[in-house]
Amino acid sequence: MTSSDPAGARGQRSRHQFIELLKVQTKLALREPYGALMGIAFPAILLAVFGFIGHENPGNVGDTGLTIVDLWIPTILVIAIIAISISLPNTLVRDREIGWLRRVSTTPLHPSRLLAAQLISDLVIAAVAVLIVMFGGALVFGASLHVQILPFGVSLLLSIAEIFALGLVLVALTPSQTIASAVAGMLFFVLMFLSGLWVQPAQVGEPLRTIMYYSPSGAATRALLDSTFSGSPSYPALVTMAIYTLIFGFVATRYFRWE
Amino acid sequence: MDLHLLPALHPVTAEIALQSVHVVKPEPAVTVEHLVKRYGALAAVDDVSFSIREGEVFGIIGPNGAGKTTTVECISGLRVPDSGLVRVYGLSPQNDRDRIREFVGVQLQESTLPPRLKVGEAVRLFGSFYLDPLDPSELLETLGLDRLANSVFKSLSGGQRQRLSIALALVGNPRIAILDELTTGLDPEARRETWAFIARMRDRGVTVVLVTHFMDEAETLCDRLALINHGRVVALDTPEAIAAQAGGSKVRFIPSQPVDDETLCGIPGVNEIERKERYVTITGTGDLAGSLINALAAIGVRMSDVEARRGNLEDAFIKLTSQDRSSAQDRVRT
Repeated sequence: MTSSDPAGARGQRSRHQFIELLKVQTKLALREPYGALMGIAFPAILLAVFGFIGHENPGNVGDTGLTIVDLWIPTILVIAIIAISISLPNTLVRDREIGWLRRVSTTPLHPSRLLAAQLISDLVIAAVAVLIVMFGGALVFGASLHVQILPFGVSLLLSIAEIFALGLVLVALTPSQTIASAVAGMLFFVLMFLSGLWVQPAQVGEPLRTIMYYSPSGAATRALLDSTFSGSPSYPALVTMAIYTLIFGFVATRYFRWE
Repeated sequence: MDLHLLPALHPVTAEIALQSVHVVKPEPAVTVEHLVKRYGALAAVDDVSFSIREGEVFGIIGPNGAGKTTTVECISGLRVPDSGLVRVYGLSPQNDRDRIREFVGVQLQESTLPPRLKVGEAVRLFGSFYLDPLDPSELLETLGLDRLANSVFKSLSGGQRQRLSIALALVGNPRIAILDELTTGLDPEARRETWAFIARMRDRGVTVVLVTHFMDEAETLCDRLALINHGRVVALDTPEAIAAQAGGSKVRFIPSQPVDDETLCGIPGVNEIERKERYVTITGTGDLAGSLINALAAIGVRMSDVEARRGNLEDAFIKLTSQDRSSAQDRVRT
């Protein structure tokens, strides 16, 4: 209030706030690396496992013309995003439970910025995970990726948006960290199955294939797979993800509580 | 017209406003009128009214569950009142919440930090939220937290957490600080230090709203008090006046020869008489010991082993809250 230009000072302060918040958020994310461990270590292990399976069983899977590593890389990407998203309650529900979000809400910082900082730090982890899986797959296990940047980028961003929004639904609807962990654990397995970890949608019959194609994680896998290998994106999968993103986003913001 | 905010934001407008208003009555920092807040059928706050002057330390005391915290949460905008009016420098905590948050610092009763957040990081982070914050390292030093700047929150003791919580409430350089259960969990030395800190804040012109159930704290720090019980204001005055209101002076002595109750009751200020072995204990008001000595000397009775205690806030507190309880029970019975 001492500034002669309150609006300018506010704008400057607003940036300063957010930079401080991101710094603190990053430090906390490194000290409490739930998201980083789940989002980076787990897909790295999966990649190694499928890499060795592919090494033992070279050649085509079915008539797809793809090796096992090729076929499973999109699934592993989706699982990395799920793992990061599923760990959102570990910080956000906890911070609500201990009264931290409420405490912040008494300051001029809008709590939504706290949420934004959390999502940005998770986005960075997701980016690292994607790079490790893509380059690890190609360099170490010789995956033959013909990534088309635009469709792949769109598919990846929509996958992240959709699956992060699902994580925020979990944050909004679970009253405590204990319940959140239990629900997150179950959800994790369902989503991993639907993303094709155990069996790819191309290998199963109807109606399971349709269910997988139109599930949140299955649609993500399909979009990534198509934009990686067939060159043209799968529009039904993109539209499916867009719809899920809207629904999850609505529920997450509608039922979000600061205390 | 909001005269307190104007000089800071629009000096010229403020000057004009001051010229046109001849008598500027000091506007209260906080006004609470007929505040009601219910949780379900229970009225946690039931028609509470008071106003807090700028620059004073205002205490809100009362037993557990009396509605103290709910009252201050309505002031800080954390809760929406069911009815009544709350104004902070003329602003509504609900509608002008963004503006109020700039100059109201809050310490919450049950709020902790992320376990691995460090003390220094937390204070700097909160400082960055405000336009004109205090210097974080100076504040840490004042509160004796400078050596703990690199400690994570979960490693702090109860007293250290409490001091950090105070630091977070004050780092924004607020004009009003709302402190809820300020010294709960502190050891006696830390309590004294915290009190001294609050006194320095008041000297700097900060208005302090202090929620407490420690009577010595209220007596030492507060300029005025609201005693709340069952969601209602039972007393609203200076600590001295409230202590006197309850009339809790006590004198205990051994008379040199037996004195009957009738004689004692005739002495001005005497309310109650208790006898235990040779001791007589009188409860009453005014200069009790003085009038007893004079009146008894006049009839040739000497007092020995005299012990006199002036009524304090604690006596008043117990008297006022228990009176209220019995009258509440009466209401229930009828």
